[in-house]
Amino acid sequence: MIEARNVSKFFSIINEDRTADGITAVLSVSLTIGDGKIVSLLGPSGCGKSTFLEILGGLQAPTEGSVFIDGVQVLEPLPSTRKEMEAYRKKYSFLSPLANRMWKNQPKHDVAIIFQDYAIFPWMTVLQNVTFTLKLRGVPRRIREEKAVAYLKKVGLADSLRKYPSQLSGGMRQRLALARALSVEPKIILMDEPFAAVDALTRERLQDDLLRLWGQTGITVVIITHDTDEALYLSDEIVVFSPNPGQVRNRFEIDISRPRRRSDPELLALKARIMSLFKYDIDHESEYSI
Amino acid sequence: MLLKKKNKRRGIIRVIIRELGCFFKGVAKNLFTREFLTVLIPLLGLWELLPRLGIVNDRLVPPLSEVAATFWTMIAERGFVSDIGDSMGKFFLGLGLAIAAAIPVGLLMGWNISIRKRVLPLFQLLAPIPPPAWVPITVIIFGVGLPMQTFLIFLAAFYPILFNTYGAVKDTDPRYLASARIFGASELTLILRVYFYSSLGAIIMSVKTGVAMGLVMLTIAEMYGGRTGIGYVLNEAKDYFRISQMVVCMVTLGVIGWFLIEILKFVELKMNIWVNAK
Repeated sequence: MIEARNVSKFFSIINEDRTADGITAVLSVSLTIGDGKIVSLLGPSGCGKSTFLEILGGLQAPTEGSVFIDGVQVLEPLPSTRKEMEAYRKKYSFLSPLANRMWKNQPKHDVAIIFQDYAIFPWMTVLQNVTFTLKLRGVPRRIREEKAVAYLKKVGLADSLRKYPSQLSGGMRQRLALARALSVEPKIILMDEPFAAVDALTRERLQDDLLRLWGQTGITVVIITHDTDEALYLSDEIVVFSPNPGQVRNRFEIDISRPRRRSDPELLALKARIMSLFKYDIDHESEYSI
Repeated sequence: MLLKKKNKRRGIIRVIIRELGCFFKGVAKNLFTREFLTVLIPLLGLWELLPRLGIVNDRLVPPLSEVAATFWTMIAERGFVSDIGDSMGKFFLGLGLAIAAAIPVGLLMGWNISIRKRVLPLFQLLAPIPPPAWVPITVIIFGVGLPMQTFLIFLAAFYPILFNTYGAVKDTDPRYLASARIFGASELTLILRVYFYSSLGAIIMSVKTGVAMGLVMLTIAEMYGGRTGIGYVLNEAKDYFRISQMVVCMVTLGVIGWFLIEILKFVELKMNIWVNAK
């Protein structure tokens, strides 16, 4: 179970005229995500949902609030008082709080992440990409390759084990990222706009692949998207974010059994309700558009 | 078992021979293109003819055939081959030390901000000192000979490799780091398997710069302190006004530099295979 309690993230930036400015990326978001659910975080670009996802994964420290995965705190928030600051500095004098251990590979939480631009390593072959992550999780050498091949077969990449990512198409790269994430058997997969960079046909196939693999494993999936149809088709729950500052605007539970039809009237009705939320934004804030 | 091992070794030898074949073929293809030969042959012809016809003074510009003859006598009578070998030995020692020192330091500096803050300003202060300015003090400290020459070559090649490595490591795509971190990569694994590979292209580029700088310092070091090597022969030829010997030395240095860069290009091609595997 993922539990976010009052998570906020502020950035300070320096303007061109050398004045300092603060940006609130995420403002007191509280969210509970149950085990085995697919949850979409939906919102226009720049509403802090990527930042929130990175906080969930422990890649950024929240400025306030905290995130717990199965009761374990992900990262402690940044210090606010001077005394806290000193203790914090002492603790992380050499390595940053985001850094892992120095010598030994060990994950902090059972989380995998998939980025929009895949972030698979271009200097490793398809097979090496998966065996490398298995190695990080301490899977013994003997069964590493076997396991990697099994997962690559599941996503249909068994024929291109020795290829480099630059030889693959966009959809294949995303499937490789999926296989890599699944191969470590995480409890939670975080996906940051996973299907935004591929064409519409490939996207639908990848969505079906994801649902199939999710059905086989039953892990928790958190997907960030700005595509309402995708969110409706995939998720058990949609969390709508609103920008400036990033906040949870609304939550929708979807109780429609899978496989769903993309043109299901219930989904379309829900889509109209979600779109009306965004429409409200456009009427009242002219700074952005979807 | 033994047979398998033997077969394996034979396989490795075969691979080496094949790769060498590829390399020399590539080099020859680069150099002996029709386009380049149409420039090179007339140039060589002019070099031969202009002094012979008396258009330029043949005592100042010896014709090609005379230079070739000098090259031959230098190899036969003076042991020029051992001079070349000597220079190359020093050069590779210095360059190897520079690579072995600069890449780890660059990796550490790019990886950790607290190391960077402590170490980088020092190198930034020392780097602008032109390597030739180090010659007098090195001669006094190390004396004339191998340690001093190696140190100078090391110094010349060290900074370009260091700064380029550090820059490339620092600019490693944070997405790669994030995805390795979340799977549980330790910092050591990150350095060895992510930072290093993502900056490998820039590192090889910087070694090319290091080779060029190293050759400069090799020549200077041998001219100022030494009894052997190409630079020493060059300096000696100056003292006796043997222009064709000087030209031989210059051409030799040029060919060596060109050949080393070709080798590095080949290495780059092989190591960066993921970029070229399209």
